[in-house]
Amino acid sequence: MTFASERYASRRDTLAFIVCLLLSITIRMTPAAWHDRVSAQLQNTLLRPLLALQGWAESVRTTRERFARVVAERDSAAVVATLADALREENAQLRAMLGLRQRLPVRHVPAEVLHQSLPTDGFTLLISAGRRQGVRVLSPVVASGGLVGVVRSVGGNTSVVVAWAHPDFRASAMTADGAVFGIAAPFGGGDPGGPLLELQGVPYREELIPGTRVYTSGLATGEGGIYPRGIPIGTILSVREELAGWARTYLVLPAVHPASISHVMVLLDTRADLTESFVPPEP
Amino acid sequence: MNGRNGVYRLPTVLLLLVVLHFTLRPWLGEPRPAPDFLLLALLVYAIRARPGAAAIAGFIVGLLSDALTPVAFGAGALAHTVVGYLAAWGKAIFFAENLAVNAGFFFAGTWVRDLLVLVGGGHVEGMGLVWQLLLWSPLKAASTALVGVIVLVIFRRWLAIRIAE
Repeated sequence: MTFASERYASRRDTLAFIVCLLLSITIRMTPAAWHDRVSAQLQNTLLRPLLALQGWAESVRTTRERFARVVAERDSAAVVATLADALREENAQLRAMLGLRQRLPVRHVPAEVLHQSLPTDGFTLLISAGRRQGVRVLSPVVASGGLVGVVRSVGGNTSVVVAWAHPDFRASAMTADGAVFGIAAPFGGGDPGGPLLELQGVPYREELIPGTRVYTSGLATGEGGIYPRGIPIGTILSVREELAGWARTYLVLPAVHPASISHVMVLLDTRADLTESFVPPEP
Repeated sequence: MNGRNGVYRLPTVLLLLVVLHFTLRPWLGEPRPAPDFLLLALLVYAIRARPGAAAIAGFIVGLLSDALTPVAFGAGALAHTVVGYLAAWGKAIFFAENLAVNAGFFFAGTWVRDLLVLVGGGHVEGMGLVWQLLLWSPLKAASTALVGVIVLVIFRRWLAIRIAE
């Protein structure tokens, strides 16, 4: 290590610092479309080998997890096979354990989530599927629990997903019976596990009890709408705000926490009802 | 750092940290408190570099981080530039050779980077910001500091760092 006297900032150091600072501020003020273009360029060039490495590491890790799960399922099945009466019930359980992928009635692409270290990871997610895998801008993204977000930009082998935690996210939502509608939006409250959602604009005459499940409504799907009907968004927690006699806003416990998930499905078709495709959460 | 091999030692350590960032982090479970090897590489570089060079390196690392998480593009570049410059400048003043001080240096660098990204981005407010800065960022800063100390201990000869017992 060198001595301090050799290392104090010279005029050239200060100049370099100021130039980098001004460049950063200029970049921050440029339009979002330009940000997406530059991000895609960097992901497809300089960062490509590193993202390939991360994709490989993620897939090795999840493959190990899946293998362990399949072994457990096989062992369970072997035991259950000796009990014919219980076979049907166990089959149902195994199907539930196998999860979402086998159940989705629409074309989809599986992808690993390539988590990054900035504290804003979770607002957007980088996933290991892109144009070559058939992903398109505005494709809905789900996990086994429910809605994750929507694809914002697509590169060759990676895509950027705007997760529901992003301040710009909105989705048309409804209750399971389709009787009550509202707009799902992120709520940046004080939850250490991650942000919550809120269901805005619920008519005042409609009262939702805590525990009510909220799904995407699928309104205008195929005609400018993005999310197919029936993707779980979350569960009603409590009333957050009341506009007297007019509307209520409810706090919603999200079905999926974007900052913690490791793999997702990108839906390529949106004209479907997915209400039966998701495993209900355990009580 | 002596001999021809010495020229390659610092880049080798930095490259190792970059590779670890993309290969080891996925294995560490919950991503929010996982160590930030990329920022650690910048801080290790800042220990050896002049403030101007560290600021430029910070700008590049920040720009690449922004490309991977394009929520508030430019905020990462700004935060890493400031952290890189201050780290190199701060080391010039303190030139600490104590492991605990180095751990504090890595911890502070990570936490300040998160603070600048969050404030510069403006996407997290209220209690969300408080939780992020008082829970997740300190956890990440602590894990980064721990890895940083391990790196310094293992590579102290390569990095030409004298560490007092």
